[in-house]
Amino acid sequence: MTAFILRRLLLSIPTLFGVLVVAFLLLYVAPGDPVQAMVGERADEETIARLRQELRLDDPLPVQFGHYIAGIAKGDLGRSYITNRPIKKDILERFPKTLQLAGAAMLLATICGVTLGVFSARNPGGFVDRFGLGVAYLGISFPVYWVGLLLILLFAVTLHWLPPSGFGGVRYLVLPAIALGMRSIAFLARMTRSAMLDALGADYVRTARAKGLTERLVVGRHALRNALIPIITVLGLDFGAYLTGSILTETIFSWPGLGRYVVNAIARRDLPAIQGSVLFLSAVFVLVNLITDVAYAKADPRVTYA
Amino acid sequence: MRRSIVLLLPLIAAACGGGGTNTNRRTLVDSRDNYDPRSLDPALSTDVPTGRAVGYLFDGLTRFTPDARVVPALATSWDVSAGGSVYTFHLRRGVTFTDGTPFVARQVARSWQRVLDPKVRGGRGWPLYPILGAKEFADGKGTTIPGIATPNDSTVVVTLKEPFAIFPKLLAMPVASIAPDNTPANFGERPVGTGPWKLAEWKHDDYLLFVPNKAYWGGAPKADSLKARIISEPSTAVAEFQSGNVDVLQIPQGEIRAWELDAERKKLLASTPALELVYVAINTTRGPLADVRVRQAINHSLDRRTIVRNLIAGRGELASGVIPSQLPGSDKTRIGYAFDTLRAKQLLREAGYPNGIDVELWTSTTPIFVRIAETVQGYLALSGIRAKIVQRESAAAREAARKGQTDLFVKDWYADYPDAENFLYPLLHSANKGVGGNVSYFQNAQFDSLVTASRREQDETKRVALYRQADELAFREAPMVFLYFYNELYAIQPWVKGFVPPVIFNGQPWLGVSVSHAGRSTP
Repeated sequence: MTAFILRRLLLSIPTLFGVLVVAFLLLYVAPGDPVQAMVGERADEETIARLRQELRLDDPLPVQFGHYIAGIAKGDLGRSYITNRPIKKDILERFPKTLQLAGAAMLLATICGVTLGVFSARNPGGFVDRFGLGVAYLGISFPVYWVGLLLILLFAVTLHWLPPSGFGGVRYLVLPAIALGMRSIAFLARMTRSAMLDALGADYVRTARAKGLTERLVVGRHALRNALIPIITVLGLDFGAYLTGSILTETIFSWPGLGRYVVNAIARRDLPAIQGSVLFLSAVFVLVNLITDVAYAKADPRVTYA
Repeated sequence: MRRSIVLLLPLIAAACGGGGTNTNRRTLVDSRDNYDPRSLDPALSTDVPTGRAVGYLFDGLTRFTPDARVVPALATSWDVSAGGSVYTFHLRRGVTFTDGTPFVARQVARSWQRVLDPKVRGGRGWPLYPILGAKEFADGKGTTIPGIATPNDSTVVVTLKEPFAIFPKLLAMPVASIAPDNTPANFGERPVGTGPWKLAEWKHDDYLLFVPNKAYWGGAPKADSLKARIISEPSTAVAEFQSGNVDVLQIPQGEIRAWELDAERKKLLASTPALELVYVAINTTRGPLADVRVRQAINHSLDRRTIVRNLIAGRGELASGVIPSQLPGSDKTRIGYAFDTLRAKQLLREAGYPNGIDVELWTSTTPIFVRIAETVQGYLALSGIRAKIVQRESAAAREAARKGQTDLFVKDWYADYPDAENFLYPLLHSANKGVGGNVSYFQNAQFDSLVTASRREQDETKRVALYRQADELAFREAPMVFLYFYNELYAIQPWVKGFVPPVIFNGQPWLGVSVSHAGRSTP
């Protein structure tokens, strides 16, 4: 297993390098000049030229790329063109907040989604199953934006139970986590249901029941354990997606995470900030995928990485 | 599985129990910033959230009042030489920065030099360019700025390149604020100024917290603290206001009617002119648009009254020129282009386009501009002008317009300082074509000479007359569709005392504003 992890980590280096090259080049062909964004509504050509020079934007692309790579190799993501702050500091300040929101959404999704899926599968066509189907439909088809605003209107503006937006304790986390986790709840519920239906019909479940195990043990230990692989897949993919910034949720709930940071950086053409964030988020994604693969092996002894 | 749900229940209950509103706060909370300031270094204040915060922490030699008058700040008075190009500013004595260092003339020179220094990477030197040698210094052609002299600690003598009568107004802009001698690399995060507030905390993308500068020369602010929240989504700001968590709200344009129709909410409203011109720039160098008759035809095609009524709930004053009616130089008797499709068609025929023309109508993705573009497109079609809407993200759209690649471009212009010059010169003087703000690429020798003369004119009456003539000329030449001047709508909580919505974005330092708990009720 250790060898597998090491190999995967080594393989991620060329992947990340590829990401770096693409992110770097893409920004230079995309419309929008960072200096134009910097100077605001009123400027003059000389100022723009001086700033371009100051930011080394007039150097040939390979030279600029060389500088950038040299910085990365030293663990330096550079400074923002716009704010002059070190990008590493900006990212490290915001990532824990994104992590917190993603973690809460996933926790919620796992608890609600898996529970709903398991109970749906135990009595297909029953009330819980049909309720689960409804939740899944709504969760998948409601845009997060809309759900977010509705949650704010209901729980904050009307009922005064929770704050509408902002960052703080658990109270601030509840609404954005629900808005963000909705889709995962829906997916997980359906995924768990079908995986559980397969498992519950399997021979080993009949054996388990024949041994006289309680229904709780049959479902919890035997069926669910075997249904875990697709569940972990969904969890891993969604968690990766949430960690890379849940832009809409962060915007609606004024959550100071990485998603808003990236959107701001893009709007202002802050090249180093965009490149740094893309690189960092790609690394996070690679890592989450690796953890997912390791989790497969933990969940199912039949999966080995020799 | 069941157990974990049971375990979670008390957590949810605890989370919900606290309630959303904080009923006894004595902090003023602002909701107007929709993105994080760039920095708190005055030299970097190129955007609204930055400029607003810099205005709390720093002073310039002059400042704006909420109703957009320019009054003395760190300068108590100034003398102008007979020719109008030498300003002697007498500085306020006994002022200290919040770190205790005394304010002296040297810091004025140094602060402005920082703004102009390309190494500081501010990018907004233009308010100081009227100073002799400032532009050359910014362009790297000079190592000093000969136009700034500090004969003693309480006097700054500024020599301008040429007379510029409204120069003191430009000094109230955030970028001209005065910083202390010592500006370390993290000055933008740990600012030290002479302003009414001190920075207590800055949580990026979340909020900035300010506490009063007890030693402020103008008297310390009344409130315990001031929190500027960063709220990107306008609907969220509205929800925060309705929950009582923020004190001041700019009503999003889409929600104006709902507020005005609600008797309870209507009581909280306050309106102010925003000195914001909303217009459609017509690139006067592109194809048929070079013909003034075509540009007039475009102006005649639109029913602006209906546009203002339906798109912004009537909260705009129809424009017939570029000068807002609050500023001297605007001609309130001038009648704008009438909605007259027949006249528009006739003008097109006279210009040699009996079958109409094809144009690209550019807009950013800003919702109100998209709606305007769609409406304008519909009206233009009535006159036989076939407009194709090109929608781009705002930085890309602005850049295309600056490069002269747009036929028509829906945009707006906010005053940086309250003077007609701030509209006439950047928007239409030929020196500012492209990045300078003149995206109509308008070039008219008579207009240029009128505006240039107005900038030099010391006599206010004569200056205003020149403004009026220039505006009249611009109106006839129609280098843009004159749409409207927006009137900003604010909602202010009943427990907030003394808040006057500012005309210029950095014109409200919250000095006399307080939270009054008497008679406070849940919203």
